[in-house]
Amino acid sequence: MRGLSWRNFDFLLLGAVVLASTFGVMMIRSAIAGNEGLLPLGNRQIYFVLIGLVVIVLLAGIDYRYWLSLHWPIYLIMMIFLLALSGLGQAAFGAQRWFTVGVLFLQPTEFAKIVVILVLARYFEKSQNDPRDLKWLIKSLAWVWGLVIWILLQPNLSNVIVTMVIWAGMVWMNGLQLKHVIIFGAVGALAFGALVALTISGIRLPFLQKYQQDRIVNFILPDPNATYGSKYNVDQALIAIGSGGLFGKGYGYGTQTQFRFLKVRHTDFIFSATAEEFGLAGAIIVIAMEAFIIWRCFRAAQKARDLSGAMIAFGVAMLLFFQGSANIAVNLRLIPVSGLPLPFISYGGSGLMSLMVGIGLVESVTMRHKSMDF
Amino acid sequence: MSSHAVPRNSRFETWRLFVIYGVIVLILTTLLGRLISMQVFDSQSYIDQAVENYTKEISSPAPRGIIYDRNGFILARNAASYNLVITPAYVPDDDADTQRIYREISTLTGVPVNSGTLEEAKLFAPCVEGPGINQLVALGDSLAPYTPVQIKCNISENVARLVSERSVDWPGVGVEIVPIRDYPTGSLTANLIGFLGPIPASLEQSLRAKGFVPNRDKIGYAGVETSLQEVLAGVNGKRVIQVDVAGQELRNLEPPIAPIPGYNVTLTIDTRLQAVAEASLLQEINFWNRWFYGNSGQQRISSGVVIAMNPKTGEILAMVSYPTYENNRMSRFIPGYYYNQLSQDPRRPLLNNAIQSEYPPGSVFKLSTANGALNEGVVTTSQIIQTPGKLELCEQFTPNEPCIPGQNVRPFVDWIYNIRGVLNPAGFGTLDFLRCIAYSSNVCFYKLGGGYGDEIKQGLGIFRLGEYARALGYGAASGIELPGEADGLIPDPQWKRINQGENWSTGDTYIASVGQGYVLATPLQVLMSGATMANDGKLMQPTIVREVTDSEGKVQTVWFSPTDFTIWVPRTVSDDRGNTTQAWFNLADSTIVKQLPAGSYQISPFTANMKWDITTDPRIAVYNCEGGNCIKTDQKKTESPSVVKSVQAGMRLAVTDPRGTLYAIYSERYPLPIAVAGKTGTAEYCDDVALKANRCQFGSWPTHSWTLSYAPYDNPEIVVLAFEYNGGEGASVAAPVVARVLKAYFELKSIDLAKNGG
Repeated sequence: MRGLSWRNFDFLLLGAVVLASTFGVMMIRSAIAGNEGLLPLGNRQIYFVLIGLVVIVLLAGIDYRYWLSLHWPIYLIMMIFLLALSGLGQAAFGAQRWFTVGVLFLQPTEFAKIVVILVLARYFEKSQNDPRDLKWLIKSLAWVWGLVIWILLQPNLSNVIVTMVIWAGMVWMNGLQLKHVIIFGAVGALAFGALVALTISGIRLPFLQKYQQDRIVNFILPDPNATYGSKYNVDQALIAIGSGGLFGKGYGYGTQTQFRFLKVRHTDFIFSATAEEFGLAGAIIVIAMEAFIIWRCFRAAQKARDLSGAMIAFGVAMLLFFQGSANIAVNLRLIPVSGLPLPFISYGGSGLMSLMVGIGLVESVTMRHKSMDF
Repeated sequence: MSSHAVPRNSRFETWRLFVIYGVIVLILTTLLGRLISMQVFDSQSYIDQAVENYTKEISSPAPRGIIYDRNGFILARNAASYNLVITPAYVPDDDADTQRIYREISTLTGVPVNSGTLEEAKLFAPCVEGPGINQLVALGDSLAPYTPVQIKCNISENVARLVSERSVDWPGVGVEIVPIRDYPTGSLTANLIGFLGPIPASLEQSLRAKGFVPNRDKIGYAGVETSLQEVLAGVNGKRVIQVDVAGQELRNLEPPIAPIPGYNVTLTIDTRLQAVAEASLLQEINFWNRWFYGNSGQQRISSGVVIAMNPKTGEILAMVSYPTYENNRMSRFIPGYYYNQLSQDPRRPLLNNAIQSEYPPGSVFKLSTANGALNEGVVTTSQIIQTPGKLELCEQFTPNEPCIPGQNVRPFVDWIYNIRGVLNPAGFGTLDFLRCIAYSSNVCFYKLGGGYGDEIKQGLGIFRLGEYARALGYGAASGIELPGEADGLIPDPQWKRINQGENWSTGDTYIASVGQGYVLATPLQVLMSGATMANDGKLMQPTIVREVTDSEGKVQTVWFSPTDFTIWVPRTVSDDRGNTTQAWFNLADSTIVKQLPAGSYQISPFTANMKWDITTDPRIAVYNCEGGNCIKTDQKKTESPSVVKSVQAGMRLAVTDPRGTLYAIYSERYPLPIAVAGKTGTAEYCDDVALKANRCQFGSWPTHSWTLSYAPYDNPEIVVLAFEYNGGEGASVAAPVVARVLKAYFELKSIDLAKNGG
């Protein structure tokens, strides 16, 4: 091991993460205030944040290459976990997305996204001198689908999309040929078109839940006879955001949030709760915090000493960006409801922890960058 | 400088990174743009929606006023009715639990768990049985999940208590308490009190503006409940509250406005006398129906009326219209089958026959002719009039038409001419004016009305007869505080030309003089004519309202305008300069006027309102009758008090003279220790029903029975009228009813006196 200097640790990144998580804890407390059953969640999130910060420091101290060398065991263990939760594992464990460990629910899917980043980083480094042909592309896809197939079978479409976006970003950065972009784009568009067409014509697809299919249809073709429940959540989110105005109604005074018109307000719609209580100003601060964290990840990617490090940081940046913008876009009714959390702010132990692991890896990359400090 | 020092990885092409950055910037711009458009430009509409989300306006129903009779006996009140309700939002998430609850409710109430489809359930009004619990709840869930759905209305108190006890095990299930109108006297006073019904679509908008809640609040549909709707209804309160998503009340957003309870109304009715009147009428009707048809159930007398009034104050003490209906059956909702049954009944039980039906008054109308003839000098009290059994009179359609026997000369018979087949050509022989009234001689009144040769050179004539009839209360609605009053009809030549397309004939005048032909009157008008006589020519405004009090018992000043059925209370208004003036506030539309509509009278606190005094108020148009032709002049005159006295004497003679029409009843069957005066009537009629039954044979038309009496003769307290449709002879069919009511009145009076004295 070379001389490790904590001077290279990205304190700004850590600071932004602490800030965002703290803000998240605060918003969760406001969001659950009206519901006694949810009250313990506020403190639980604090523990997750504290544990997560320890994880970041620990991971920063360990060279990320160590994990790359262990990619096979990590990959296989993750696959076993996902398998247990997938259709095949249902008989044994029941249809769940999490494992119960003591009082905690562990969602392997969240960690699977980090594993995909690790595995792809290692693959692209190893293959960096290979021609960017179809074989190179398909091999990278094979690594991804080894895990993603089980996520799809859960079924958890949102996270499949997240993983595929990370993959797409990474192959793009590694010199994906434009003709392949066109081919994949065409195939993707066709598949999506077929999905929509089939859903509209009422044919159930095997790997989608009915509600997921309905959400897609509802979004593309709003049903004029839509029942009370199907658009309710998003409608209330829009009212929450819009009524927040420039500076919001004040912390704890959002009528949509406090009187529970806004649903799943501590997870999926926490952005709406923020926008209601802190207005446009608060919403922009949240977006700025997220953007700052992502920017520090891109910065780490550029400074990384090797391609795998760059790819890890880039992958984490992609993960954060896509998940964050997808969540906000759902809140703003720009895309169908996906169930993706807002990074560092939404409630959820596994989600937060996997992101903390990601940030820890990025810190590890930053600390070992190539510049000469002496 | 450090970034320059770092050699870029050869695989990391800068342009590829820039594409990524470009995509990120594009997405961020989209998000920010949407955010700004929502939070800056469209913010107000979202704020409105947020406010609408948590704002709920609750109308607090005002309790409807209670209706009492003159002795404080309750005629209409508000009772509690229990409904079993389910709030769809609160039923358990687990369908098995929900279905278990529904099954248990079904056993308790008998409402099926499943019945019909959701689509069918939409067609049912609340509280109407039909849909199953699942359908009702599913329907409610799709409309307003936090609004309780009525599963079974009007459950017993026991079931309500049971449901309340089990509400812990049955989330979402509850008991709703709604006030319903309860009428302790039921059908006895249904025609007076009326009933309530839902707010009709035509009134929905205007009543909503006044704070009424359609589908909850009800309005009067008949009787006093309609005419005094504004007095009884009160004003609903309003609360604007903040609610959370579950509909739970958090706080008041505005200071709450408490409901103002409706005023209580005390009627002039004496329920005891009302009960006596109804019983007497039914006894008589049943007696005659059984007399003619045995127990076959066939009806001879199909309807009847009894009215009792204080002639000095106009207070209606009893008003019975038979047949009637049970207004308690309408208290929760108006059952369609029952309403149809009532509205299709040819006897018209929904009508208050006392004021809403018109009949030929027959001989009771002779009071008009008598007053007129004596006051106009057609006859004198000392004059002896030849009254054979029948007169051969000329039916002239024009003044100069020749009288040709066999062509236009018709017999006009007296009622005594043919008594059950025994002919009596001599009739009453000779009579003086008082005995004409006492014996009710038709021949005498033909002569007084139409003139007869040299004996009565100039008859009263139809125009002058009309004047006196109107002076006694005929020909126009009385203005009592009950809806739908009929006007009656006093015919004249112009009316006949327009409505019958024919000239007035001399025969028309003859028969109008005895209250036949085209003359029509409501029973109340007949009563008023008797009351005017009893009260020495002073016609009092008939009224059914004695007092209006607020919920604390304070008597209110209330005026009633019969012309447009509006109700007014005094209100002090101040103008710009601060001067205050007295004005009137319309309870119906909240307008304020300086001057009340013409004809308005005070209904509370009680005042005896005189419509007019025929001996002092010039109400009778003067006609110039020379040469058989009467021409109206602009002058008006009064009636001489001596004329009133003479007619009173005639009415008294009917009771005291052994040949008087009322002698038998008051001297033999129901002897009263109090001096009574009165008049009977046996009015021939030929309406649709009689025509259909082929009963309109010349000389033997079916007849209505009338009897009018007042007592004590020298200082009358009560005037009673009985009418029986197709009853036959007034003296034998209607008079017993009147006599029994009079008897009961004086008995009740002595009971009250004893009670108050001791």
